Amino acid sequence: MDLPEKPHARQSNTLKVLDCDVHPYVKDGVKSVFPYMPNAWKQRFIRKNAQVGSHARPLKYEHPNGSVNRLDARPPCGGISGSDPHFLVQDLLVKNGIEGAVLNCLQTGALCSALAGTDESVVLCSAFNDFLIDQWLPVDKRLKLAMSVPSQDPQAAAAEIRRIGKHGQIVAVSLPLLNILMGNRYYWPIYEAAQEAQLPILVHVTGPDSVYHGVPMSAGGIPDSYVERYVTLNQAGESSVNSLVFSGTLEKFPRLKFIFVEYGFLWLLPLLWRMDRTWRQLRHEVPWVKKSPVEYVHDQIRFSTQPIDEPSNPKDLDTLIELMGFDQLCFSTDYPHWDNDMPGQSLRGLPAAQREKIFWDNALNLFRMR
Amino acid sequence: MAAAQEQKQFAVGRADEFPVGKFRIVEVEGREIGITQLATGEFRAVRNRCPHKGAPVCKGIIGGTWLPCGVGEMVYGSEGQVLVCPWHGYEYDLNTGVELYQKDPNKLLMYPAKVQEGNVIITL
Repeated sequence: MDLPEKPHARQSNTLKVLDCDVHPYVKDGVKSVFPYMPNAWKQRFIRKNAQVGSHARPLKYEHPNGSVNRLDARPPCGGISGSDPHFLVQDLLVKNGIEGAVLNCLQTGALCSALAGTDESVVLCSAFNDFLIDQWLPVDKRLKLAMSVPSQDPQAAAAEIRRIGKHGQIVAVSLPLLNILMGNRYYWPIYEAAQEAQLPILVHVTGPDSVYHGVPMSAGGIPDSYVERYVTLNQAGESSVNSLVFSGTLEKFPRLKFIFVEYGFLWLLPLLWRMDRTWRQLRHEVPWVKKSPVEYVHDQIRFSTQPIDEPSNPKDLDTLIELMGFDQLCFSTDYPHWDNDMPGQSLRGLPAAQREKIFWDNALNLFRMR
Repeated sequence: MAAAQEQKQFAVGRADEFPVGKFRIVEVEGREIGITQLATGEFRAVRNRCPHKGAPVCKGIIGGTWLPCGVGEMVYGSEGQVLVCPWHGYEYDLNTGVELYQKDPNKLLMYPAKVQEGNVIITL
């Protein structure tokens, strides 16, 4: 069904919007962050001809239209979509009446999860974080950062949170996932530091997912196309929610919040029903899980809305959201990627009060906003 | 208003015929009822039907359970006071009949049981 055209700004006049998934692109990759690392590491990356502009995905997983980036989001001064913070502010925030945008750099995520070695990832992660703090955050106070951490070294990741986590525009910790489920105590040093800093943990696919060893893989086998892989990416989200609850990690870190970004959310309800039933039947195997999984997830986990699925009857989507409740969703655009959702065109069938929760209140309560 | 149903007492066997830690199932008035003795010497009479999905609950394990505890800990308790349904594993407190650790628990149908002159008497 085609939606009637409405000017973006007019639709957003009465609705405050916090966008919890925006991707800044560091134009020249590793080369751009040379000023933010020791010379010895800079020389190493020069000698290796480190690029890290692309994620070096196999042909079968390249986007069928050539790029995941929107052609219309390219800055007029040139460069790839998402690489100019000034243009991004105009094109995304001003045009759509968005009052806050959480930046999550997927180049850092890809390096930290799979593309760089452990020591390389520690250096590069700090350098990319510092680049964004230096070159992006001063451009506009509405820009917030989900700082990345080098998840291959949890102690270094915790140290990174303690090094820059107090910055006023840092609102979350972006954790690049490995093929270790999120509840595993491997990650606990990171969770401890994040809880201490009052920063939620944000997870998002990083690019190498289902491609490289060491990162989350699609269940059951290897997808054969971009489309097949794309549809399976939510599976790691389901496994991670399950793991966070039954491992006792949510019980261990009761003040820590999580947000699953771009994993979808319509799978949550059947997952919770299955988890709740199984807990009721076999609770004593995990006696540290003291209440229903439904309660843990409601209290500590949030989900971004994009990509919003589109059933043939739009009311079916509203019904499912109503069933899962309105407290757990946070609006996101995924700018500047192709499968975006813009605020004026999203979840329009929901009552105004519930839209306000999803577009603003829930994110405001989740992220460390100052 | 329906008249209150009259209660009847039934002798179901000698006390020493009902061992600790196991149900012996008897039939009374067309109903299967499991009778067991707790370590305290008290007797329990339980309708042999799980309120969840109708399983013969009295054929399940009588034992303890692992109590809610800290992450990574393991605490065993309530030995001999927990009945585990053989089908779906629901755990019931044999003192109250109430399903353990649920906000909206199921409850076993239990009947008063006592010993008189060496015989177990239950009231239906």
